[in-house]
Amino acid sequence: MNNDLQSEADDRLFELLAREAAEAAPEKAPSRLKARLYTALIQKQQESGRLRTLTETRNCGHGLCIFEDLWERVTKAQAAQSFNCCSVCHARVLAEHLESPPIYWGHCPYVAFAKK
Amino acid sequence: MEERSASGEKRSDRELVAEILSKDRKATAEFVTRYADHVYAYVRRRLIPRADLVEDLVQEVFLAAWESLDKFRGDSSLRNWLLGIARHKVEDHYRKRLRELQLAEEEEGTESEPVSAHDLEEALAERQTGELTREVLSILPETYSVVLLWRYWENRSLRDIAVQTGRTEKSIERLLARARQQFKKRWYEQRSSKRS
Repeated sequence: MNNDLQSEADDRLFELLAREAAEAAPEKAPSRLKARLYTALIQKQQESGRLRTLTETRNCGHGLCIFEDLWERVTKAQAAQSFNCCSVCHARVLAEHLESPPIYWGHCPYVAFAKK
Repeated sequence: MEERSASGEKRSDRELVAEILSKDRKATAEFVTRYADHVYAYVRRRLIPRADLVEDLVQEVFLAAWESLDKFRGDSSLRNWLLGIARHKVEDHYRKRLRELQLAEEEEGTESEPVSAHDLEEALAERQTGELTREVLSILPETYSVVLLWRYWENRSLRDIAVQTGRTEKSIERLLARARQQFKKRWYEQRSSKRS
């Protein structure tokens, strides 16, 4: 077989190999990574101004976690309502370092990442 | 976590994007929950020899997505839009690596003995290639795995790769031929060791 034909045959073979590999079952992202992605995105959003307030978030149909809910009830100022409660929450720290963090309450994004 | 909109419907990509742009933390969490697995799987498969870089690159993809999310028009799905960003990031990585790694083998001009593709064809027919492919790519010299991934996994032409790495098409062709030879050789060795 001359070089060109060999090369074409090899091309077809490796194209098949790549296609086969692409069809394999996808791997899931580690929950630690999802936790870190979320934290990084929220930090990035805060660099250009305040987050949406907790009340607005709730009004859009999102559930608040137990700490956000409490915070929303006790604060009135918009700046306080935009505070990222996760930045001081132990759930974030645990989730960024453990694959199955021992956190169990509802509407916490870090719990949801671990569930998936 | 699959949050619903106030009307109880699953949020469309456009609705989700609008909420993320308004810096809604829960929508941002949903964005990660919906798409992190897709982006991770894509990047992981294309950075096989460099698993240590996968998480950083996935993070770069999401941060770049946030930076340009206001340009998302919904012409394609949000998933495909994100995978487009991932593809650019992966190709940036390939380009850098091929430029950094001195193609010493190329200068040596040593051609390895041709290896039969029979074993590989047989495995393809049996659809048993996935795991072994990953193993072989992970033990190949990085120059070879990068050029194979770029050419066949990303479907880029020799000319594209040559232009992006500042090399001639002929030199990429020679590199690719050596990479395929080495892949087949290692494939044969790995498969033989598993059988014995």
